[in-house]
Amino acid sequence: MVAAATLRIENWPQTINDFDRLVEATQDELVQFAFYRLGNQADAEDAVQDVYVQAFRDRVKRRHVTEVRPYLFRMVRNRCTDILRARSRKPGQTRVETIATDDTLSVIVAREETGEITRLLEQIPEREADVIRLRAWSDLSFAEVAVALGAAVPTVKSRFRYGIEKLRRLMNPEGGAPK
Amino acid sequence: MNDPNEQEVLERMRPTQRIAASNSFRERVMRAIAEENTRETSISIWRWRSWPRWVTVGCAAGLLLLLLPMLPIGKRLPESPGVALLAQSVQAMSNVQTVHITGRIRTLPGDNFELIGTQYNFVPIEIWREYTNPPRWRVEKPGRVVVMNGQSALLYISAINSAMTGTPEAGFVEWLRPLLDPQSIVENELAAARQGGAQATISESSGVTTAALHRQAQGNFANDWTKNKSIPESDHTCVYRFDSASKLLEGLQVVISIDGVDTVVAEFSDFRYNEVFPQSLYTVRLPADVNWMTGPATKPAQVSLNGPKEAAAYFFDALARESWDSVLQVMGGTKVPPMVQQAYGGLQVISIGEPFQSGLYPGYFVPYEVRLRDGSTKTFKLAVRNDNPAHRWVIDGGF
Repeated sequence: MVAAATLRIENWPQTINDFDRLVEATQDELVQFAFYRLGNQADAEDAVQDVYVQAFRDRVKRRHVTEVRPYLFRMVRNRCTDILRARSRKPGQTRVETIATDDTLSVIVAREETGEITRLLEQIPEREADVIRLRAWSDLSFAEVAVALGAAVPTVKSRFRYGIEKLRRLMNPEGGAPK
Repeated sequence: MNDPNEQEVLERMRPTQRIAASNSFRERVMRAIAEENTRETSISIWRWRSWPRWVTVGCAAGLLLLLLPMLPIGKRLPESPGVALLAQSVQAMSNVQTVHITGRIRTLPGDNFELIGTQYNFVPIEIWREYTNPPRWRVEKPGRVVVMNGQSALLYISAINSAMTGTPEAGFVEWLRPLLDPQSIVENELAAARQGGAQATISESSGVTTAALHRQAQGNFANDWTKNKSIPESDHTCVYRFDSASKLLEGLQVVISIDGVDTVVAEFSDFRYNEVFPQSLYTVRLPADVNWMTGPATKPAQVSLNGPKEAAAYFFDALARESWDSVLQVMGGTKVPPMVQQAYGGLQVISIGEPFQSGLYPGYFVPYEVRLRDGSTKTFKLAVRNDNPAHRWVIDGGF
């Protein structure tokens, strides 16, 4: 398998074979990102699958996108936002999940972590939380996060600092470094 | 350097468990993409199948259709509203600064821009044209790009890492050339129709003016090897659509007809006018080790070959011996691409047939059967031509 973080995808893939390589290289990091956003593996995989199909559908239009990886994160982030909005309109419709990975224990632990992380991020402004999610849940650089969010790099950096500062206070309301 | 507190907070937000996609995920995604690809190829943007037959065969009778007097008759008929609209279209398009066209063609990704085939999947294609003085353009599909920067044209074929330069008029884009001048495309088509080469129908409906031009396949088909392998060598209909308000060309669909079956082989559905193009559009970043194809057989001639069959035999013999300098005697380029060396080096010739001509191709096709080093056999036709200034026989394709 190609390590996604070391893979530089120069241009938007145009053929089915190109897409196969893209999926192989990026599926794990995108599913992980969607998992921590949506809280379960099945929804995460559905969301990422939707994104790949959309990426294929738009391949001509996106032909000159050079930052393919961060752009995929952007699409996954948007898709997750849509799903979360739909969930909030129909509360109580929690998906019953069958864990489909080889490592069931990881998924269970990860789900518990998700609850804690989500609770903290919900308490800071969404645009700051977005930056922190992308920095913490993927290997994207600030420049790539900027592409993923369609924002300037200095803006992304300042949102990151503000967000981290707020989280630091939430974790340790009495001051000092978080334990 | 990160503030320690900042780093610690970030680490707290970083999950300790790595989540991976499930084992079957990639397969599911690729199946969904394949389904999407099938769906794309079966849906016509303009709902072609629901259109009346006139579009595909140029039939005369139609509700709003006006059959133009395309045959070279001496007397002019009164101008129809359709003709007036077309004239306005030509006028409107003469004010265009740039056009950016996206579409798709049934072809093989890395192959030339001429090749089409009903059996192939659609491959995306994009065209940019700037009406500066001198004009500039770029045509691109996966595996092949041509840029013309106003001074010269550059073709780059990524699959074999090979490039070639030529004049602005070099035939690198083949059949697509007319699309680089959409403002005159209708004039050109109507001129061809006036010479008796096409039947034309024009209609206006729902804010769209449509011009459909039907042409018979051109070329000599005593041997039909090239029949239906390119648009000019097929019985085909080009359907141009113009926005009736702006008068600008907004779509082109090409349908070829084989044994009564019509198949869309090319469609250009998105025409964007007056976009600002970046300067970088007219350059291609070439790898340092690119193979320059500097015209046919750049090495000084060391052999004298009499005819296409002898050239084919010499070519295969050179490949069999892996004598790459000899291969370059009959092939353009500064070196034999590694892909060709790998695939064809050490081959064995099983048979070489008699050369024949077909369609519009200015050279000959030489049938052959060879056994490759991996044990497989390949049967195909080598394209060989000598219409260069030195009249040297060179291998033009077919392997």
